Amino acid sequence: MDFTLSDEQTQMQESVRDYLESEGGIELARRQMDGEDVVGEVWDGLAEMDYPALSVPLEYGGLGDDLLYLSLLFEEAGRVALPGPLPETLGFTVPLLAELGTDEQKGQFLPAIADGDLRASVALYDDATESLPEAIRMEAEPTDDGYRLDGTKTLVPYAESVDRVVVPARTRQDTGYGGITLFFVDPAAAEAEQLDTLDKTRPLYELTFDGVEVSGARLGPVDGGGDALERAIDRLNVSMCAMLVGGADEAVDRSVEYGKQREQFDKPIGQFQAVKHRIADMWLDTEAARSLTYYAAWAIANDEEDARRAVSAATAYCTEHCGELFEDDIFNHGATGYTWDHDGHIFLKQAKTWANLLGSPTEHRRRIADIRL
Amino acid sequence: MNFDYTDEQEAFRREIREWYEENLPDGWIDGERDLPDDEDEREQFLREWQRKLHEGGWAAIHWPEEYGGRDASLMQQLIYQQEKARVNPPPERSEIGVDLVGPAIEGFGTEEQKERYLPKILSGEELWCIGYSEPDVGSDLASLQCKAVDEGDHFRINGQKIWTTHAHKADWCYMFTRTDNSGPKHHGITALIVDMDQEGVTTDRIRQITDEREFNQVYFDDATTPKENVLNEVDEGWEVAMRQLSFERISLSQSLDLERRFDELVEFCKNETRGGTPLVEDPHVREKLAEFDTRIQAAKLTYFRNVSKQMNGDLGAEASFGKLYDSEIAADLHRFRVKLGGPKAALWGDDSPNGAAKDSLANISIRIGGGTSDIQRNIIGERVLGLPKGDQE
Repeated sequence: MDFTLSDEQTQMQESVRDYLESEGGIELARRQMDGEDVVGEVWDGLAEMDYPALSVPLEYGGLGDDLLYLSLLFEEAGRVALPGPLPETLGFTVPLLAELGTDEQKGQFLPAIADGDLRASVALYDDATESLPEAIRMEAEPTDDGYRLDGTKTLVPYAESVDRVVVPARTRQDTGYGGITLFFVDPAAAEAEQLDTLDKTRPLYELTFDGVEVSGARLGPVDGGGDALERAIDRLNVSMCAMLVGGADEAVDRSVEYGKQREQFDKPIGQFQAVKHRIADMWLDTEAARSLTYYAAWAIANDEEDARRAVSAATAYCTEHCGELFEDDIFNHGATGYTWDHDGHIFLKQAKTWANLLGSPTEHRRRIADIRL
Repeated sequence: MNFDYTDEQEAFRREIREWYEENLPDGWIDGERDLPDDEDEREQFLREWQRKLHEGGWAAIHWPEEYGGRDASLMQQLIYQQEKARVNPPPERSEIGVDLVGPAIEGFGTEEQKERYLPKILSGEELWCIGYSEPDVGSDLASLQCKAVDEGDHFRINGQKIWTTHAHKADWCYMFTRTDNSGPKHHGITALIVDMDQEGVTTDRIRQITDEREFNQVYFDDATTPKENVLNEVDEGWEVAMRQLSFERISLSQSLDLERRFDELVEFCKNETRGGTPLVEDPHVREKLAEFDTRIQAAKLTYFRNVSKQMNGDLGAEASFGKLYDSEIAADLHRFRVKLGGPKAALWGDDSPNGAAKDSLANISIRIGGGTSDIQRNIIGERVLGLPKGDQE
């Protein structure tokens, strides 16, 4: 048993951190919030450092690393709330393509992702009031040389800055993850409308497919893409957990620094137990969230029996506890923390968005209960 | 990163497991046997168990071989703790001696002291208590008042200690005394070994909220101890007290034990019904159980992360994690058990559902003893995160 990162992993993480800081750190998130689309710029920079190649299999020009490695990258991305479909492309799409893609699909898309030439996202929801997988309703009709997609998907991250979107649709009437077929389509074929979102660093879109004919876009078996989709959603959850852990670590640092500098009643406020203890609790939750996330990433990468439970544990814990922790960081900074100029709200809005995007904490705990009890 | 154990480690696990199977009191593993209620019988039972542990070589595996330990690696200690959590053996009668006194004597004692005291700690022949706290001196050890005056070949001790676990049964007290008042308050503290069986020492048992009487007030009224019983140098006891932390077994995590308690609670929820439906089918109960499962996993995984760091020679900030995080989970878990007990939770003793009432009270002490949760948060804030120290220091 050895629950430590290797030197190589730690070095990779440090180099990502240095690189993102040198590129402006959280300023990138601020520019995106202000309406600029920095995704292309971020992606080109990441590609120069070979990061998009991280999880792409070796035979397709990638580095062949697993989800644990990726999580370390996401952790650093989360520390600066980095905009861009990094979890969607590397955490979700790459392993899904590697698992389900035909040789032709893999040959077409994987090297392009590794080179930084292709970004991807996922269009899960037909109905934003419903939970997954029930929210997947779109029907795909077989045609002579493919399928026809009709309907509207919502809450699609970065739809206008990506080249392909994974679209799950029902090709057989079924419940849960049954009867689902996956399609890998160009979002340009649909009409995109940007939604007014809580988290301005990660834009969400509504994508309307108006009888869009797709050929050669089917990914994996007819009616049988559900299992792979569920696993891919698990990986996406772990990717987001890792970003939250990075943000949480940063929030603890920020609260500590402020606690040392800010003086009230002639003392640094970090000297007061009320403040000190709150920050200590933030640190506890960060360490707990990190342990759960690393383990979930490792369990998925190694096909462990308890991988699903580990993912749901990490997701429920990170979304809930990191969300509270970001609120505490704002609180520690007093009224300054409540301003737009302070970075606290950037992390908080991400956490609040993710807390329900891929299953609420309650839904994840239900899944844990079903596995454990 | 990997979570496998080597063949050698698995062999070590089997060795412990087999030893437990052969040596635990009959019926213990199946839960058919508990500690005797009668105090004398219980004392006899625990002495017998300590003797067996010692004979089996399991009394202090983390101690060096020359003093009766096994020189166990951190990994072996972890495996030992896992197996211990699995069978929940009787408590170790010499626990205080093994975990706290022995390492202090080993680290600061003379050869004579080591030879005299260590073997009898292991065998359980001599029982120890620790004179740390005093009335009005809780977490602020440096302000202790109990006096030891140098009278040539011995010290004369006057003062009072409190919350002294097992003092009424102890043969020896490892205690901190004030030998000099003139300098800064950390200076002038001396660590002494004091014979409890003398006229100047009286103990007064304190009745706890669980109705048990494990700890005491101890009065030192012209008690004496010879000069050779000083641990480290005179006036240099602070160093001994501060090094105490690093002597402890690999961070005393309760997380493995919490896992077993959780499993017991799940069993209870499967067997206990409300309105004809097992508790485990209630959606609220299911969600709470899943939440506990998650927190306990987080505790266990962080514990593994910490042990792994220690194995690689890095103490790791996570070492400060366990006591606070685990005891908060334990407190919540016990509160939940009481709630699940229903009206029957009004009962005490064997009639209490799942033993919940007593455990939930006993758990309060975990958040106080060995440095309260508040003190743990100060330690994390100041030593791990570098926040400014409070007024008190």
